[in-house]
Amino acid sequence: MMHYGNRTLLALLPAAMLATGPVSAPAQAQDGVIRIGITLRMIVENGLKYGQMSKDELEAANAAGGINGKKIEVILLDDECKPDKGIANVNRFIHQHKVHLVMGSTCSSVTMPMVDVTTKEEVPQIVPHSTNANITKKGSAWTFRTSVSERFYASVHAKYLSENVGKKVAFLYTTDGAGIGFAKDYMSFMEKTYGEKPVYEAQMQETDLDFRAHLLKIKSLNPDVLAIGGQLDAIARITQQSYEVGIPKKVRRVAASAASNAPVPELAGDTAVGLTFAAAFSCKDERPVAQEFVKMVQTKYNVRCPDHDFSQAYETAQLIKLALKNAKLELTDASLKADRAAIRDALTNIKDYSGLASGPINFCADPTPQCRDGNRTGILVEYTKGGKDYDMRVLARVSFEPGFGL
Amino acid sequence: MLAAGLGHFRHERPLATHGYAVTADIAKSAEQSAAADAPASRSLLGSMHPIVPWIVAWVLLLPLPFFLANAYTQFVVNVICINIILAVGLNIVKGFAGQVTVGHIALTAIGAYASAVFATKVGLPFWFALPAAMLVTACAGAIVGIPSFRLEGAYLALATLGLAESVRIIISGTDWLGAAIGYEGIPPPYIGNFSFGDHRSYYYIAMPFALLGLYFSFSILSSDIGRAFKALREDPLAAAASGVNVRKYKVIAFVLSALYAGAAGSLQAHMAPGFLHPNSYTITEMVTLLLMVVFGGIGHIWGGVIGAIIVTIIDDLTRDYYQYRMAMFGSVIVLTVMFMPKGIGGIIDHFLVRRRFNAIRKRRADERAAAEGKGP
Repeated sequence: MMHYGNRTLLALLPAAMLATGPVSAPAQAQDGVIRIGITLRMIVENGLKYGQMSKDELEAANAAGGINGKKIEVILLDDECKPDKGIANVNRFIHQHKVHLVMGSTCSSVTMPMVDVTTKEEVPQIVPHSTNANITKKGSAWTFRTSVSERFYASVHAKYLSENVGKKVAFLYTTDGAGIGFAKDYMSFMEKTYGEKPVYEAQMQETDLDFRAHLLKIKSLNPDVLAIGGQLDAIARITQQSYEVGIPKKVRRVAASAASNAPVPELAGDTAVGLTFAAAFSCKDERPVAQEFVKMVQTKYNVRCPDHDFSQAYETAQLIKLALKNAKLELTDASLKADRAAIRDALTNIKDYSGLASGPINFCADPTPQCRDGNRTGILVEYTKGGKDYDMRVLARVSFEPGFGL
Repeated sequence: MLAAGLGHFRHERPLATHGYAVTADIAKSAEQSAAADAPASRSLLGSMHPIVPWIVAWVLLLPLPFFLANAYTQFVVNVICINIILAVGLNIVKGFAGQVTVGHIALTAIGAYASAVFATKVGLPFWFALPAAMLVTACAGAIVGIPSFRLEGAYLALATLGLAESVRIIISGTDWLGAAIGYEGIPPPYIGNFSFGDHRSYYYIAMPFALLGLYFSFSILSSDIGRAFKALREDPLAAAASGVNVRKYKVIAFVLSALYAGAAGSLQAHMAPGFLHPNSYTITEMVTLLLMVVFGGIGHIWGGVIGAIIVTIIDDLTRDYYQYRMAMFGSVIVLTVMFMPKGIGGIIDHFLVRRRFNAIRKRRADERAAAEGKGP
């Protein structure tokens, strides 16, 4: 039997639930300002800087009087690489802040459900970092990607290493999206192109610390290539332990694109030398535009050698500004839907944009991966020095046809 | 009908069977005294059928989505409803039965993935996928409960933590569960052609389940099962000596709690955009869930509800301060444990008990005064 007090509390339940209304801010009215929601994984090495740089780049337009006289307001949130947080963020952007465009996210597992939400609500979304090929395969008319898709990356490794190093590949990867995607695409390319199966394959947990048992088995199989999939700490650890167990230097270590992040050569130290990875940008790129960017990041964000997550976030901000400049926006409550569609259409018209990316960026109207995977050029990079003063060189630059790997 | 269906929970056997006859007499006397002192309005409340306040609450909650600021707030309210189910369920095993578990989030994951599999691979509609997922989770709950036969306190917490991590790792490595990429394409509930795929309509699924969960929780607490749980929580040895089958009731606590986790997981799975990922069921989510229960008050049903509402709102409001979020959450836990160990529920309980005993004291004083006035 409930006490009277409990019944009083039961009566108060609707009031308590109703209190969530005033606690959350009302939907933002359109007031001539272009609103952009950015959600990224930020509580990681340099994560806050990726987010802050994207925000700074977009809001920099305000200092010059805005875009076509319209100010930009950026709402920046962290999704912690958790899909539920990403879904909450994108719902908040769309329904509460009434944004005109969404930029995000870092992890493919967050971007995938975000695409479902932006597609349903008809809000343009531009993906700066996620690489999973399925993101653009969903066929959304509202999704664009600046980062290089896995379908290209995997082949950059596989093609170059098969032709220049060897076809006997041992795979060791962790159970996160980046690890699985890298290994599966590499394996699939090897089997389809050369009929080669992996000499060894093992899946580990993201949190695993000791990979020596697997590495000893790999040593006995004498492969040409050791392919390492996972996030940066796993890559650094596996690379280091591969030398500890005595796998010779002639076995080429190749890793997923997370290897481009600074902590990998820093953690792996001297063992990072020779570690190869595919990326969208290298701070050793000698083009003036790239060196200007490197200097800007060094000065403003205190990062010596910006990785491709920096360059892709920067590039995405530039593409957004370009699209906003070319879109006819009214920015009233009544025009919100039309404004979102105008931004999407302006994005589809971006052709041969040449910036920091290793190749030109192209979008088009069809909601297919051919049209929406904008950057189709990957570079293969090798570390030439490990530790705090790490260094690298570009081994190859490979461009693909839009339909490659589909 | 619902109340009749729950008859077995509401049937209160003589407490003497569990050795609580004396305590029960005192409680009964206090309740009678309170009832006798209650004003007329509360007599009206007391004379109602127990299901009536719940129906009133349900009716009052029906128009809620139309008063909310926007679709995002509706989304937050749906999350609150699901969190209420989770917190109230955790309270059964932790608050009522006193078992220290940190495996509740794994049971939620099992419920969510089971419901997703039933809906997408077996083709069951939500209305069948949800109870099927609850059954699967209940079985998992019974397995989680087995270590509690021999383990207590921190050791049980460690065992359940290991289990929670195992579930997440198994999902991460299982391709047909979407592995680390995620499980997508889980359909929303349908009635005929009407889809509950938007946040407003989904509220009419999540809210009744939250109310039902609360109702069952009160029913369990006031039944002989609930009293056995409390005996178990206070002292398992004394409970066993009084005739409580400790093992049986521990497993029942875990199973009941798992049923709630299964329902909450299923509701998470079918909420738009119908996507699941093992990263949503980590130790961080478990700590957030524990915070709801601790902040609301362990062992207080309303505490779980208040905790779920407040923690979900704080979680949402602090989203803008992402650099400091986890530090803020950690501080709230530490400060709550230090200065408010019984949580908000404890404060409310203290207020209610004091009010009840003040009423008894006043009645007795009045009786004494009346007796003295009539005396020789």
